[in-house]
Amino acid sequence: MSNVISVGMADFKTAKTPDILLTAGLGSCIGICIHDPILKVGGMAHIMLPTASGSLGGNPAKYADTALGLLLKEIFGMGANTSRLRAKMAGGAQMFSFPGKPPVLKIGERNAEAVEQELKKHGIPLLTTDVGGSFGRTIHFDVGTGELHIRTINQGEKVI
Amino acid sequence: MEITQIQLDALREIGNIGSGHAATALSTLLQRRIEMSVPEVWAIPFEQVSALVGQLDTPQAVIYVKVEGSAPGKAVFFFPVESAEIIVQALFGTNDPMDLYADEMPQSALREIGNILVSSFLVALTQFSGIPLQPSVPALAVDMIGASLDAIFLEEGVLDDTVLFIDTQLSGIPKIEGQFMYLPDEGSLKKLLGAMGL
Repeated sequence: MSNVISVGMADFKTAKTPDILLTAGLGSCIGICIHDPILKVGGMAHIMLPTASGSLGGNPAKYADTALGLLLKEIFGMGANTSRLRAKMAGGAQMFSFPGKPPVLKIGERNAEAVEQELKKHGIPLLTTDVGGSFGRTIHFDVGTGELHIRTINQGEKVI
Repeated sequence: MEITQIQLDALREIGNIGSGHAATALSTLLQRRIEMSVPEVWAIPFEQVSALVGQLDTPQAVIYVKVEGSAPGKAVFFFPVESAEIIVQALFGTNDPMDLYADEMPQSALREIGNILVSSFLVALTQFSGIPLQPSVPALAVDMIGASLDAIFLEEGVLDDTVLFIDTQLSGIPKIEGQFMYLPDEGSLKKLLGAMGL
């Protein structure tokens, strides 16, 4: 029997096969999914903003640059090996646009770039992504197979 | 900032009058009775906001209006897709099914409804505070409620650990449900309360 473990906003969780990690209703946030295919363990972080720099305190799981380190620490604690870790990510949408006003910050896009950089810094290959667009995503990550299942309301479903 | 009980009461009163104006506007527009709950004022970590909106991947029509002026904020109306469809049908006087996801006509109707509701709310807020406030052009998303809300919270690229907002439930006959949230930007609250002598 596999359990579905829910990851909230600005939260991260780890799991062992056959458990599934879930985060529901990702907009401009990103779900970072990491797993060790040999040990069949992994984790998911639901980050909201690119970087913690400049902000005072707060929840480190909120930011790409601080959440990844925390998530990795927990995955290593489960015995995973850096050289085997693989990553996937989804989210980073631009949900709203105001006519005549270009979005100044494009948080979704910046989130995706920040995650990519952080993964590179930690030497973890990013296998595939499903980011951008203007629609929400609910994602399920199987830490055993590394399959990331993405559901949307109007853009169908896919597995990456 | 620390929020005192008196300030919370003042906010609830603003919410009460503002949402009352908005509910009356919707009621006039749709020619049917719209009721609203007494507003709640919340100052909670944003992670807990999801508990107030139910399942994060439920499809809802979200109308988002930025409030501009010297005490800016964000106004958000959201309706379950079924309710939004009933509202648009009532507005057009038809029972034909509507595609809120793709069809431009019901979408612009929803934006316009958002505009009317937020303007009515702001009239009350301005009467109270004497601070003139203007609504932006409304933006619409018909999608997972969690996805729309996270984008609204993060729009400015910053997020306080605590979000303060006024929350009102709207209900109408038949089967209209909706929710309204008003989020003053950081600093705005102080100005609004200050203008009221609090």
